[in-house]
Amino acid sequence: MERPVRSICIVGGGTAGWLTAAIIAARHGSGGLRLTLVESETIGIIGVGEGTWPTMRSTLKKVGISETDFFRECNASFKHGAKFARWVTGEPADFYYHPLMLPEGFPSLDLAPYWMRYSEGQLQAPSFSNAVCFQEAVCELGLAPKLITTPEYAGVANYAYHLDAGRFAGFIRDHCVKQLGVQHIVDDVTGVIRSDTGDIDSVQTRKSGRLAADLFVDASGFRSLLLGETMGVPFVDRGDVLFIDRALAVQVPHDDEQSDIVPYTVSTAQKHGWIWDIGLQSRRGVGYVYSSNHTTADAAFDELRAYVGDQHRDLKPREIKIACGHRQTFWKGNCVAVGLAGGFLEPLEASALVLIELSAELISTMLPATRETMDIVARRYNSTTQYRWDRIIDFLKLHYILSRRTDSRFWIDNRDPAGIPHSLKEQMELWRYRAPGDQDFTSNCEMFPAASYQYVLFGMGFRTDLGHQSLDRDLGGAQRAFAQNETLKTRWTRTLPKNRALIDRIKELGLQKI
Amino acid sequence: MRPVELSRSEHRELKIRADRVEADAARQHLIPIVVSEFRKAATQYPIVFAKHPDTGRFAPYVLSGLDVQENLFWTGTGLDVAYVPLNVRRQPFYVGSENVLCIDLDHAAVDGAGTRTLVNADGSDSAYLKEILAVLGELVTGRTATEQFIAAVLSLDLLAPIVLDIVLDDGTPLQVQGLYGLDEERFRQLATAEVTRLWQAGQLDLIYAVMVASGQIFNLIRLKNQRIALSRAWQASAS
Repeated sequence: MERPVRSICIVGGGTAGWLTAAIIAARHGSGGLRLTLVESETIGIIGVGEGTWPTMRSTLKKVGISETDFFRECNASFKHGAKFARWVTGEPADFYYHPLMLPEGFPSLDLAPYWMRYSEGQLQAPSFSNAVCFQEAVCELGLAPKLITTPEYAGVANYAYHLDAGRFAGFIRDHCVKQLGVQHIVDDVTGVIRSDTGDIDSVQTRKSGRLAADLFVDASGFRSLLLGETMGVPFVDRGDVLFIDRALAVQVPHDDEQSDIVPYTVSTAQKHGWIWDIGLQSRRGVGYVYSSNHTTADAAFDELRAYVGDQHRDLKPREIKIACGHRQTFWKGNCVAVGLAGGFLEPLEASALVLIELSAELISTMLPATRETMDIVARRYNSTTQYRWDRIIDFLKLHYILSRRTDSRFWIDNRDPAGIPHSLKEQMELWRYRAPGDQDFTSNCEMFPAASYQYVLFGMGFRTDLGHQSLDRDLGGAQRAFAQNETLKTRWTRTLPKNRALIDRIKELGLQKI
Repeated sequence: MRPVELSRSEHRELKIRADRVEADAARQHLIPIVVSEFRKAATQYPIVFAKHPDTGRFAPYVLSGLDVQENLFWTGTGLDVAYVPLNVRRQPFYVGSENVLCIDLDHAAVDGAGTRTLVNADGSDSAYLKEILAVLGELVTGRTATEQFIAAVLSLDLLAPIVLDIVLDDGTPLQVQGLYGLDEERFRQLATAEVTRLWQAGQLDLIYAVMVASGQIFNLIRLKNQRIALSRAWQASAS
C-alpha cells in the first residue's frame, strides 16, 4: 500500500527551521500538507549568517513578505557585495571588491582579457571590478543600491542584505504562523522514536506528547539531533581544506543614530584568519574567525580588540567553536537536514543562509508524493547538495591560495597543494591561459558564476597568460562596455542615496510594491 | 525659488503678469492634479500615475509631453489647451506647510510690469486674489480625496507600470518610463462588493475618467508629429 507524504515536522526554530517552513508552506500549504515546527524553549539559536545573497530577495517575495516590513523588523541593511581588505599582501592599502553584479556585457562579452591587456604595465590602471562594474564606486561612497521610487525587491544595482539573525528568525516565524498556517509548538524534544524500517516515526516532547510526521526536517543546529545523532550519518570534516574552526563575535554599537551604514560586507584578513564586519541599522556585527591550530584564543582576542578600537575595549566576545564540514549525506530515510545540522563553513562568502534557501527550495520542489518515491528524491537531493558544498569549498579555498601573505603559518599552510581540492587545481590550470568562463561551470546547480571567480582572481592579482590570443574580435564591443560602465558610474554615484538615508526613508514611508 | 509667506501689507504693491503664469509649465511633461479635476483633465490629457522622487508616493498627473521636460501644449507664450490644471493656474502662489498662503518671489509672473494686484485700495482682497484663493482651496480640499483614491486603487492592485512604446512619423522610437496606469483587466476582475465600495466612495467615476483619458495619448502623438513636421520644414527653409 502506498504511503502518501502528508505531514512534515521541522525540529528547530532558528533561521534554518523557519525559512524552510516558510518556503515549503508557501508552495504546499494550500495543498493540504500539514507543517509543524517544534522549537525548544531552552536552547537558543546560534544566529550565524548575518549576510545574505541576492537570492533572499526572491525568497522573501515568494513567501509573501513585504520588503518594507523586513526593513522595519529585522534591523536590515543593503549589501552590494564584499570588500576584501589585506588579503593579498596584508598592506593597509590592499583591497578588492567582489560585487554582486556581473561585469558589463557578461557573459556574451568577456571583458577580463581586455582589462588585463589594457592594465599591463600601467600603474594607475583601474582595478578589475572598478573597470567592469559600477558597484565599487557606489560602495566607496556608501550609497544604497536603489531609490525610494524603486519598487520592493527591485534594484538599480543587484543587492543582498545584512540582517539581525535573531530578529529575522522571529519575523519569519510570525509570518509562518499568521499567514502560512504553520503549526508552532514550543517544547523540548526529549527523544526520537524510530519505526521498524529505520525511519523516524515521531519525536517525543516534554509537554506536547509524540509528534509524528511523514518527513522530518532536522534544523537542530550543530547538534544534528535527527540526521547525526539519530540516523547516525557521520560528519565529514573538511578542516584539511579550510582551517578556520573558531569564531569570536561581538556586537559593536554605531557612534550615533546617524552613522553611515557601510553597504557591503568587509572582510579584513588577520594573522590567523579574518574579521567580518557587517553594518546593521543599530549596530555592527564583527567577528574574528581563526584557526585554533595556528593561534590561541587570547592572541585572537587581542587582534579583534585592535580591530574594533579602544573605545570598544569592554565588549565581551562570544566564542563559538565551529566544525568546518558537513554530513556525509544530507537526506537519509525520511529525514533531511538544513542549516547547521547539515554542516557549516566559515562565512567568507555568506553561504549559510543561501544554502538554507536552496535546500528548502529543493525539498519543496522535489517533495516526494509518497514514502516509496522518497529514496529516489533523497539520492538526487544528496548529489545536488554535495555538489553545492564542494563548489563552495572550492571557492572559499580560492581566496586563500591567491594570497601572498607570509606573516604566519596560517597563510603559508593554506597554499600547501595537499590542502587544495583537485577540482580547484584543475580549474586553476586552465585559468593560467584563459579567464574563467561559463564553460567551466556546466552543472545546473552551480553556486558561484564564472564572474565571481573573475572578481576574486583578478581582484587578488592573478594573471592569465593571454599569449598570442587576438583580442580584435570583440574590441569595439569591449570599448563600448568599458565606456558604458563609466557612464553608469557617473549616473549612479550622483543619483543613489546614502545607505542609511534610504533605509530611514523606507522605514518611514515604505516602498511601493510596483 | 524664493518662497515667502504672503503678507497683505508687505506685498500690497506686488504686481503679477497674467501672461507669465503658465511659464513654468513649458518644461513640464507631468503636472500633478487632484481628483476633482479628473473629468475636465480627461477631455485634454491622458491621466497617469507617477511616484514622487523624494517619497516614492503615487500621485495622479496629466501627461502633457512625450519626453522629459516637454509640454506639447506650449506655444511659446502660453498653453494652448481647453483645460489648464489648478497647479498651473495657482502660480506663483502655493500653500505652504500648515496651510499658509505663500508666494514664490522668483517666479517670472512676479513683475512690476504686471497689471494684477493682490489688495484693493481699501485693503480688501482683490478679485484676482480671491480667484487664486479659490484655486488653492480646491487643491487643499482635493489633497485628502486624492490620497484616498490612490490608497484605494493601490489596495486593489489596480495600478500597473505602463511603458509608452511609440514610433513617431520620422521613425524615432519613444520610450517614456516611470509611468503607471490603471490595469483594466484587473479592474474587470474585481468582485461586485469591491466595485460597490468604489461606487459608494465616489471613486468609480474617477476610474472611468482615467480610462477614457487614456485615449488622449493619440492627441499627444499628433501634437508631437506636428512639431516634428514643423521643425523639418523650418530646417528645410533654413538650408
